Amino acid sequence: MKFWLVRLASIAVAVGLCFFVTGWAKGVLTDYGYTLVVLSGLYVTLAVSLNLINGITGQFSIGHAGFYMVGAYTSAILTQRLYAQQSLGPEMWTVAMALAGAVTAAIAGFVVGLPSLRLRGDYLAIVTLGFGEIIRIIVQNQEALGGSYGIEAKMTPSVDSAPWVWMLAVLCIAVCRNLLKSAHGLPFLAVREDEVASAAMGVDVTKVKVTAFVVGSMFAGAAGGLFAPFISFITPDTFRMDQSFIILTMVVLGGTGSITGSVVAAVALFGIPEYLRLLKDPSTGQALTLSGATVAAVFLAVGLMVWGMRTVGANVHGSSSRRLLPNLGVLGGAGIVGWLLSLALSNVPQLAASRYDMNLLRMVIFAMALIVLMLLRPQGIFAHHEFSWAGVGRLFKRQPQGAPA
Amino acid sequence: MQAVLPGLAAVDFWSLPQQVVNGVLLGAIYALIALGYTMVYGILRLINFAHGEVFMLGAYVALFVSWKLGYSPEAMMAGPMPSNILNLVLMLVASMVVCAVVGVVIEFFAYRPMRNQPRIASLITAIGVSLLLQYGGALFLPVSPPPAIREEVNPFPGAFKVWIRQPQEPLKSQFLLAEREFEASQQALREEQYKLRTGETDPTKLLAKQAEVDAALARFSPLDQQVQKASTRVILPHGLVIMLCTSLLLMLLLRWLVMKTKIGRAMRAVSHDFDSAALMGVNVKTVVVVTFLIGSALAGAGAMMYATFQNLTISTFFGVQPGLKAFVAAVLGGIGNVPGAVLGGLLMGVAEQLVSWVGLTAYRDAVAFVILIVVLLVRPGGLLGSSKVEKV
Repeated sequence: MKFWLVRLASIAVAVGLCFFVTGWAKGVLTDYGYTLVVLSGLYVTLAVSLNLINGITGQFSIGHAGFYMVGAYTSAILTQRLYAQQSLGPEMWTVAMALAGAVTAAIAGFVVGLPSLRLRGDYLAIVTLGFGEIIRIIVQNQEALGGSYGIEAKMTPSVDSAPWVWMLAVLCIAVCRNLLKSAHGLPFLAVREDEVASAAMGVDVTKVKVTAFVVGSMFAGAAGGLFAPFISFITPDTFRMDQSFIILTMVVLGGTGSITGSVVAAVALFGIPEYLRLLKDPSTGQALTLSGATVAAVFLAVGLMVWGMRTVGANVHGSSSRRLLPNLGVLGGAGIVGWLLSLALSNVPQLAASRYDMNLLRMVIFAMALIVLMLLRPQGIFAHHEFSWAGVGRLFKRQPQGAPA
Repeated sequence: MQAVLPGLAAVDFWSLPQQVVNGVLLGAIYALIALGYTMVYGILRLINFAHGEVFMLGAYVALFVSWKLGYSPEAMMAGPMPSNILNLVLMLVASMVVCAVVGVVIEFFAYRPMRNQPRIASLITAIGVSLLLQYGGALFLPVSPPPAIREEVNPFPGAFKVWIRQPQEPLKSQFLLAEREFEASQQALREEQYKLRTGETDPTKLLAKQAEVDAALARFSPLDQQVQKASTRVILPHGLVIMLCTSLLLMLLLRWLVMKTKIGRAMRAVSHDFDSAALMGVNVKTVVVVTFLIGSALAGAGAMMYATFQNLTISTFFGVQPGLKAFVAAVLGGIGNVPGAVLGGLLMGVAEQLVSWVGLTAYRDAVAFVILIVVLLVRPGGLLGSSKVEKV
């Protein structure tokens, strides 16, 4: 009884929070900011669902944008053709679109999951990548689907997608978390750790792998189903290979297998480039531009920082708090060196004269951040850890002196 | 069937040999890039996603060298300039050297620190390096207007022509004569243009030569149309033949290096079992560096030839599509397997041309993956590879 009460209460709180927070965000933020809230919710769903396939089940899939695309196109076509005649109302239509996207993507996931029974590791990776590309190229060449121009999926009257997007994200997180915590999840982890051994222990490897693919792609499809009506116009180019790579990066950067990590990395990796796009030059109010000297100095300083922190990591052992001070020192040192370098380099006429705007630089910074984070923390931000209230409590507790590390 | 293959009814089966030849020429480049992928994979089990970007840098190096040699757009304003094979060799060597250095630098900074980490972590740094070179390259490399290596750099403008189906006798000799005259007049015009720089010529002379070319063309083109209808010829531009021969030479060189030298033996040992090879005294670090060196140099050679002889415009995304195709080719042949990469590359090139030939040009980028999926379902380890259970 208590179990179900807790469940019901947490569901109610989650749904309430989704509506409340997004409603508040709509009041506070600009249209653009609000779009970011919706899109980051979609990326959270995408990252967590890929994490189910990659991190939890250990199947190497790098074609997640393909499932996202299947869902998005399903809902775009349905919305375009049927939205005028439907009698569900915009809210229910949104839910129906998420379901429709989920169903078609789940079918696609089943089809792609089948080769995973025969293929392993990198071979599976390239097949999933190929699946994403094939889907995109086929759609690009179908006039009925709008070809490379794209397809319109406008909902009039429109609906406020944000709470639904975030509810999907919460649902996805809940499903993955409960799977991990329950007995149903153990076979998934077993397959990740050792396929042969788990098969020998009686795990139905086939079922586990296909289930992971179907559930993972289902959530990606549902995200696509919400994405198309929200953005109201989709093109095949939105779902390029790069998109799959970015989702994969979110999973790995957050920590493969850690749901918390996927959520944090999804928001961060989606947010950073968008934030950089918005940066303005304080003196002119124009889009921010940097001189070649600054760019070069920052690059060198970051390189120095990575080298320093890796040296600290290799030489200072023990608890992480012992590395904090040296690392801060390295950070400060790199900052000072970077500042001096930018002063020195601005005397080089070629570097000082060239200016780059943020729109050009943001992907460079993104790529740089990717490499630096991986070099400094290869196991991902959260490694295999999950967020828990007990963990937060531990953070604020003093470690007993002399305890074994 | 008609709906699936819209162009099939209109397909001219006599053009098949030409398409196969074009496919082999394209496939040779894919094979050169695929060798880099497959060697790195064989040694480190790492998909080097930045390999396509090394290829892109190789094309830029060839472009810059050609500019330095006097084939920059500004310098060409003064008139065309004769080229020689030395220019090509210089461009090739420069591309190979710079790419080799870049490959080793990438290995040192992005992959070596990740050696003892899960493989997926180095995959992410590879993606990071690839994005960094694509977008970062646009900051300092010329991108707009997209530059291309001038066709004047190629000193061999002619082509080998092989009859598959010969025209009737009087027509054939008339046609060959007219063709020879036309080509000779073109050559004469070109040589006259070369004198522009020294001022030995004047516009009237040039116009006279141009008129000769026009006259020869007027005699040649009706004959050409007649011959086109009744016969088939495979045309092999000299530049592309050089490209193919150089690629084959480089592949044989690689074969010799891997099979007959000490470092090659070490590479095979490391590829067989990384840890045991290290225990047996193989200097694994050197082997990895040499692998990146060779793989990247091959990509550089491929890039220089691809950009020079196919006259393509270069951008920082120049390497994405060839890189992806080559990667697919490497997997198709059995990743980690050197002859497999060559076989996969050639298959990929031919398949791509044939798909365009039957009228499905729009799907030429998808066919690579379709073939790959079909082959992998039948042979999960690729055509020449072996399949074994591994953990991610």
